[in-house]
Amino acid sequence: MPPAVPPPTSVPQGPIEDGDQYRPQLGRAPQGDFMRPTGRTLRAGSEARANGVGVQAEDTRICVVMVGLPARGKSLIAQKVVRYLGWLSITAKCFNVGSYRRTNTPNPSASFFDTSNKEGERLRMAAAEEAVKDMVKWFQSPDNLIAILDATNSTKTRRRWIKDRCDAEGIETLFVESKCDQEDLIMANIKEVKLTSPDYEGQDPEEAAQDFRQRITMYERVYETLDEDESDMTYCKIINVGSQVIINRIQDYLQSRVVYYLMNLHIKPRSIWISRHGESEYNLSGQIGGDADLSARGQQYAKMLPDLVSKSAGDLPLTVWTSTLKRTAQTARHLPYEKLSWKALDELDSGVCDGLTYADIEEKYPQDFKARDEDKYNYRYLGGESYRDVVIRLEPIIMELERSENILIVTHQAVLRCIYAYFMGSSQEKSPWMEVPLHCLIKLTPRAYKTEEERMVANVPAVSTWREKGSAAVHAEATPNPSAMGTPVIKPEEKA
Amino acid sequence: MDTLLTADLAAKAPNFRDRRKSSTYVDAIHDLPEKESMAPAQLYSTESGRLFHSGRIVIATVGLPARGKTHTSVALARYLRWLGVKTHIFHLGDYRREFLGSDAAVPEDYFHVNASTQSVLLRNKVIQRCRQDILRFLNHENGQIAIYDAVNPLATGRRALAKEFEKQNVHTMFIESHCTDERIIEENVRSVKISSPDYKGPGWTPDKAVRDYLDRINKKIPHFESMEAGEEASYVKLINAGERVVVNNCSHNYLLNRIVFYLLNLHIKSRQIYFCRAGTTRDEDSYKADASLSTEGESYSRKMGDALVAHRESELQALVAAGAPESTALKPLTVWTSTRRRTVETAEYLASLGYRVRQRSQMSQLNPGVCEKMSERKIRQQFPEEVAKHQQDPYHHRYPRAESYHDLAVRLEPIILELEREQNDVLIIAHESVLRVLYGYLLACSAADIPNLSFPRDEIIEIIPASYNNESKRIHIPGLPQKIVPASPEDIKIPVPQSGAVSPMSGLGTPQQGSGARTPEPAAKESGGLPLRNPGGAPPADPKS
Repeated sequence: MPPAVPPPTSVPQGPIEDGDQYRPQLGRAPQGDFMRPTGRTLRAGSEARANGVGVQAEDTRICVVMVGLPARGKSLIAQKVVRYLGWLSITAKCFNVGSYRRTNTPNPSASFFDTSNKEGERLRMAAAEEAVKDMVKWFQSPDNLIAILDATNSTKTRRRWIKDRCDAEGIETLFVESKCDQEDLIMANIKEVKLTSPDYEGQDPEEAAQDFRQRITMYERVYETLDEDESDMTYCKIINVGSQVIINRIQDYLQSRVVYYLMNLHIKPRSIWISRHGESEYNLSGQIGGDADLSARGQQYAKMLPDLVSKSAGDLPLTVWTSTLKRTAQTARHLPYEKLSWKALDELDSGVCDGLTYADIEEKYPQDFKARDEDKYNYRYLGGESYRDVVIRLEPIIMELERSENILIVTHQAVLRCIYAYFMGSSQEKSPWMEVPLHCLIKLTPRAYKTEEERMVANVPAVSTWREKGSAAVHAEATPNPSAMGTPVIKPEEKA
Repeated sequence: MDTLLTADLAAKAPNFRDRRKSSTYVDAIHDLPEKESMAPAQLYSTESGRLFHSGRIVIATVGLPARGKTHTSVALARYLRWLGVKTHIFHLGDYRREFLGSDAAVPEDYFHVNASTQSVLLRNKVIQRCRQDILRFLNHENGQIAIYDAVNPLATGRRALAKEFEKQNVHTMFIESHCTDERIIEENVRSVKISSPDYKGPGWTPDKAVRDYLDRINKKIPHFESMEAGEEASYVKLINAGERVVVNNCSHNYLLNRIVFYLLNLHIKSRQIYFCRAGTTRDEDSYKADASLSTEGESYSRKMGDALVAHRESELQALVAAGAPESTALKPLTVWTSTRRRTVETAEYLASLGYRVRQRSQMSQLNPGVCEKMSERKIRQQFPEEVAKHQQDPYHHRYPRAESYHDLAVRLEPIILELEREQNDVLIIAHESVLRVLYGYLLACSAADIPNLSFPRDEIIEIIPASYNNESKRIHIPGLPQKIVPASPEDIKIPVPQSGAVSPMSGLGTPQQGSGARTPEPAAKESGGLPLRNPGGAPPADPKS
């Protein structure tokens, strides 16, 4: 899993590398797997055999094929889809043809992409073949449902070849074209790519940008958009970041779900800031849940927050989202931006344990305390919620977040973990245990190849509300060193 | 003229506009909920009743008759209400009929661009009234989405409409049903339009009726402009029943995207949905043990299969007798089961007859949590507080470690969309709790009623989705031993409120005749028709006690 990569100290690299995949823990999932498609539910013949009947659930395996010129946000979209599906417990993986090609030609110049360059053409086809072969192999495991083939796939011949290959393997294809002719957006993307693409690692940014523009010209010469000739294919064509979307021949629910998500995406550069509320009276007493006021130190954090935010965001227009609980509204009250409060951002409902301390819970509900440690993601408090439940109710928030630009969210520990897991692709096993200290502002910037994270700690002490798996209830003073615990481990970084 | 079927139904229900409650087996999609109650699959609630990340929206249909506009409107309203969005449909045709009277003919030039002054006046009056009602619903009744079901044939008219609503801070989105495939139109006309009394009689063959109907439309509405890319409006253009979908300027709104998501799964072909229970098992009460069918259960599966096949055959005969061509064939039937053994095995007999069976993991029953295998008395003893809470809100309450009906509804969303997507007839074999929720969606039941719906084992429920509203019918399965008939024994036994509890549906408090096993049809029609379990009566007999 990506978060296991030891992070460098400052700008830590986000989780998704080419070819990474998420394997949500499905074993102990309750029978209501949210949004899980109906195909392939019988894993490796387990129940099918146990049922003793010859009826098999059908396989739904989808290859999402990206289509479009370079700098149209294809890789960004591909990575987001993988993360989103993983978050919803659907196993997906991205196959980036560029990374296959890179093994032979790590830093190609633009002329490599000239169609009259026979050698370049051959190598690129070989990379595509390699990627498709690996993908087909990956699909042999019954848990694997959606693959994303990330490449320009800019000609009809290439697309037909992919479709035929997939048809032969019984894999559905969904072509996703991002077509964009807004200059400013393309330029922003070029800047983005030249900063982050492995093709230009260590090169002069100006030269890289120029080479990249030339590469785009090479592709433009042969580029064919999806059109009537391909009306037999299942495709989704997104024109100018969703101002028009054409959807052709959707075949099943899972495909429609992917298209729904794509329609909510935009590829404009933006960041999301998230923070927990300031320290509350309940944090001081070690109680969970409730609707307590901020402590004196919490109020101090609220006062410092505008400064902390403006240091990071500059004059960017922001919107602040809070939950409906007092402590988040109080934390956001000095922020000079428009505010919205969302019921869906309220803290995980701890049911009968609301208002108790971890020590109380351990004493009163010892079995529950243990059960929660064993499978925190799926554990549902008596009369309350599990992390899985929170993910379900956050779905509209995530969609809204995808459609918005710069947002600052002030919310609660469990909710923050779920939102963080969505952006960073953390596993269901680890995300409920992630440590997010109080009085710390996190900035997330989704980029084509990763989500970047930055943490800014306010100089206001607070209790730690973090409890390590299997440990008794801790209730420590002062922020402990987070690098020693939790996951994904990212060192807090003091921003001058 | 736009929808003869609407006319038909409106004529049958004289007080159409005042009718706030459906009476019989017909679904409640055209009723305004009387009290604010949480919707079956609502993810979160707000005080205003509106989801916050969307404003108020008018969804206006665009398209010539017989393109599936009414069907799309009604289906969409059903889904939105299910999600907890307060939605109401305004059929312009209903308003026109109200002005003209249901039997009067529409003036020949009513839809013409250069109509006579008289027709224009009438037209404006009709439109005015309908729009007044829409605005009242949005501005004063906490409505969030008004679906305006009309032809809206001209680009200028559409622009004016959007502008008018914009003034009230209401966003307009158009949904056009566009067909380039004549066969789809003809099939649609054949299946819903020519059932009108106009086409009864010896002189009419179906083909002739279809042609006459289409001719009449073309004469009546000679000017029609399809939505084009140049229009700034938010629109969704459904081409050939959703084969291709063009979405224009919708990306700024959560609900609009959600609507498109739903429309991607919708089609306008007609088909039948059947519900039935799984057979009884050897290890009767266990949720966790995935038991096989008992001998009785196996015999049930054969009797159920035979009853269904015989019923479908007789429907076909009736159709032919009513004038359909000899070559008319039944739609293929697919059987859906959960992955639980009892449902899979109940489908085995039908599988052996050649019907296709598919398993869906989401359709496993409501998880009873700690109440599994407990008798009602024991549950009352051990969890008196939970029982009290459950009685207050049986839909949302969870017993310890259990799922609520609300949880179940949320998890069934993929099934609901796949059900909309399915073009064949479908038989769903599932646990009673799952049937309740699916039935609740298809017939727009309120969340409060869903936990009390009853599906005795000796009946197959047939749901006939139609454009204007869905209907349900019961097919008796003969020859079953009485003891396997009553409502689900493996269910949590508490949910029935004690007698005297107020029923939210008027007329439902009437106790039924007989043992309560099978609802006699005429009685059900009088008493409100929802298959409520022992409404107001004694709790079901506990087979264990």
